[in-house]
Amino acid sequence: MPAAPTVPRSRNRLLIGLASIAALAAAWFVLTGSGAVGSARFPSPLEFWKAADQIATRGYAGGTLLLQAWHSTRLVVLGFLVAVATGIPLGLLMGWSRRFEALINPAFLLVRPIPPLAWIPLAIVWLGLGDAAKVMVIWFAAFVPSVINAYTGARNIDPVFVAAARVHGASSARVLWEIVIPGSLPMIFTGLRLSLQASWTTLVAAELVGAFYGLGRVLDIAYRDIYPAMIAVAMVTVGVLGALTTQVLVQIEKWAVPWRR
Amino acid sequence: MAAVNRTARPGELLLLTALGAALFFGGWQALAASDLVSKQVLPSPLAVLEAGWTMTQKPFAGNLLQAHILASLQRFAMGFGLAALIGVPLGLVMGRYRVIDDAVSPIFEGLRFIAPLAWVPFAALWFGTGIGGPVMVIFAGAFPPCVINAYRGAQLVETRLVEAAQTLGARNVRIIAEVLLPGALPSIVAGLRVSAGLAWQSLIGAELIVVSAGIGYVMVQGQSNLSPAIVMAGMLAVGAVGLAIDVLLRLAERTVRKRWGHVA
Amino acid sequence: MKNIAFEDVTKVFPRGGGTFTAIERITLDVAEKEFVAIVGPSGCGKTTLMRMAAGLEFPSSGSVSVGGRAVTAPGPDRAVVFQQFALFPWKTVRDNIAFGLKCKGASRAEQDDAVRKYLELMGMQGTEDSFPHQLSGGMQQRVAIARSYAIDPDVLLMDEPFGALDAQTRTVMQEELIRLSRFNPRTVLFITHSVDEAVYLADRVVVLARNPGRIREILDVAATRRAEEWDARAIEEVMDLPSFTGMRTHLWKLLREQIAGTE
Repeated sequence: MPAAPTVPRSRNRLLIGLASIAALAAAWFVLTGSGAVGSARFPSPLEFWKAADQIATRGYAGGTLLLQAWHSTRLVVLGFLVAVATGIPLGLLMGWSRRFEALINPAFLLVRPIPPLAWIPLAIVWLGLGDAAKVMVIWFAAFVPSVINAYTGARNIDPVFVAAARVHGASSARVLWEIVIPGSLPMIFTGLRLSLQASWTTLVAAELVGAFYGLGRVLDIAYRDIYPAMIAVAMVTVGVLGALTTQVLVQIEKWAVPWRR
Repeated sequence: MAAVNRTARPGELLLLTALGAALFFGGWQALAASDLVSKQVLPSPLAVLEAGWTMTQKPFAGNLLQAHILASLQRFAMGFGLAALIGVPLGLVMGRYRVIDDAVSPIFEGLRFIAPLAWVPFAALWFGTGIGGPVMVIFAGAFPPCVINAYRGAQLVETRLVEAAQTLGARNVRIIAEVLLPGALPSIVAGLRVSAGLAWQSLIGAELIVVSAGIGYVMVQGQSNLSPAIVMAGMLAVGAVGLAIDVLLRLAERTVRKRWGHVA
Repeated sequence: MKNIAFEDVTKVFPRGGGTFTAIERITLDVAEKEFVAIVGPSGCGKTTLMRMAAGLEFPSSGSVSVGGRAVTAPGPDRAVVFQQFALFPWKTVRDNIAFGLKCKGASRAEQDDAVRKYLELMGMQGTEDSFPHQLSGGMQQRVAIARSYAIDPDVLLMDEPFGALDAQTRTVMQEELIRLSRFNPRTVLFITHSVDEAVYLADRVVVLARNPGRIREILDVAATRRAEEWDARAIEEVMDLPSFTGMRTHLWKLLREQIAGTE
């Protein structure tokens, strides 16, 4: 730590990281190849590849990889957008007006501690096993973080800015629109990222419990078929899609909040 | 603190809160009692409470409600405990030794993206309906915040404090145990709070899918019986226990901050 | 007690695309039990010098040795007192002071003895169970100094230890430090901005120039200090003496040249 670095740290870091990934991959090959880990428990790289190929070309559990992925992504985006469109205004209003907050609090505080996944059985009772139930659950999952972060963002606006605006004669509406909302955007985007993560988790869970299509359904069928390679493929796909959608969000944030570092 | 709007008097706020509660529950009750929605779909608040109460007296889905809650808590404790016991030291060590950080980070970041629930099929394959399955899923959910917060906490510990310990003759184990751990404690406890929340959620999720006892199981049975009252009673139980856990950890967080004068 | 020897020390830091030479070819010897103060404008490398003696930084070329052995790591033979106190906020006063002793493996009884001794010395009896945030700045720094003294180091390295204190507390602490070091003399390397402080406390004052850091001048104070018995007088008396003001003015002029850039 104190010594003057001879090799730039970033290069070191990359090498070590690659080395450990390589070690892990090697262990994967060896353990599954030698039979130390039975193929009923964990897929070998070859099996993984075969399963991936199967679902990509011929399809599995009712559709190709593209179809399943598209189905899931569509639901996530839909639920996410609805949640965000309802949650952010609510959160902002609650942060902005203590009166409004007092009014909404009882309902919100009752609903808030209930984990989104706990809504799945109720959603199924109300809406069946179709897409509507999934969207409802995703909405709940993404709604709460959006509200909370919008609320925190609005609540934590430095009163100095509000005072400066009012001193210049700004009406309440203008203060809300030009000070509170832009000022809350960083916190809102943090909430958006959490909401997106929650959306994906909830969707997978909801589809696992019961669905007609989707990556969660693939997971479910693969489990029943005792097909760990396919389970792995579905998991990896979910992870990749999650990362991709998060990246999209990050780019949007960069555009919307240019003043943040 | 931030009076974004003209401050309302506390009396007014209390009134509005009561009004909000009345509107919410009243509306709910009215809607359930009316003929607009069938009782099968929307039970009244009272019906929900009654269903919950009944389950504490008469067994449902194999056991009394209390026993189900206990079963869930046991799994929670195991998964959460494991995550904390492994995650926190790992985070601290990663914060202290760059090499370990560089080696573990890529794997960690990659695995982190996989939703904990996605581990359920594997967990079920490996552990059947035994306790290992849900515990593994809980672990997957609870582990990242423990590590990340311990890691960040260790980094936030003022370098000066580590240097002071070094100049006083402390060696690495002592530095981690007596400087990094206490210094990172506020961050660690905050991470534990987040982790507990995720653990509880993951638990319920796992119980919805693969289990034979616990609150999640109760809800799934309620769903099979098309009994929304039971499902909602289950939801309330889940929310209440989760809330209790959160409140306890919040208290722990506050105690740490107060005792050490808002460290870091 | 040990000496500190800087032998042709250079320290280069990477900065931006290139490098920044903090210190260039400094050779300095701090004799056993000598109190040497280093003054200089910001960026002259004085803190870097101290950190190299402490083993928290290493020279790019040249060597730093304490007691004849090269410095390779921080250790309890070279105690450091930091400007920001660096007390462990989660440990009581007692545990802070006893920390170094604990690392050495001292028994509980030995720790308690040392704690009691130094708290008495500092006039802070009864604060054993307080936490740092409950104490004033001056008291916190006393605890930090006690913590360093408790391990009986051969060398004491002090990095602007009174910089974070208000003016009055600072003056009181300077007097106390004199008292302490006459009671328990050891090799001291003392970094400071303040010319007054340097002249009042030190046997020798080293003035560093910056860009790159090197020795500009070394002033011998010890002779005058002993002749006029400074340590027996009150601080305000000493600072009134013509010998004192003469040295102070001289040093200040040197510093001013550098700050104005007419070096």
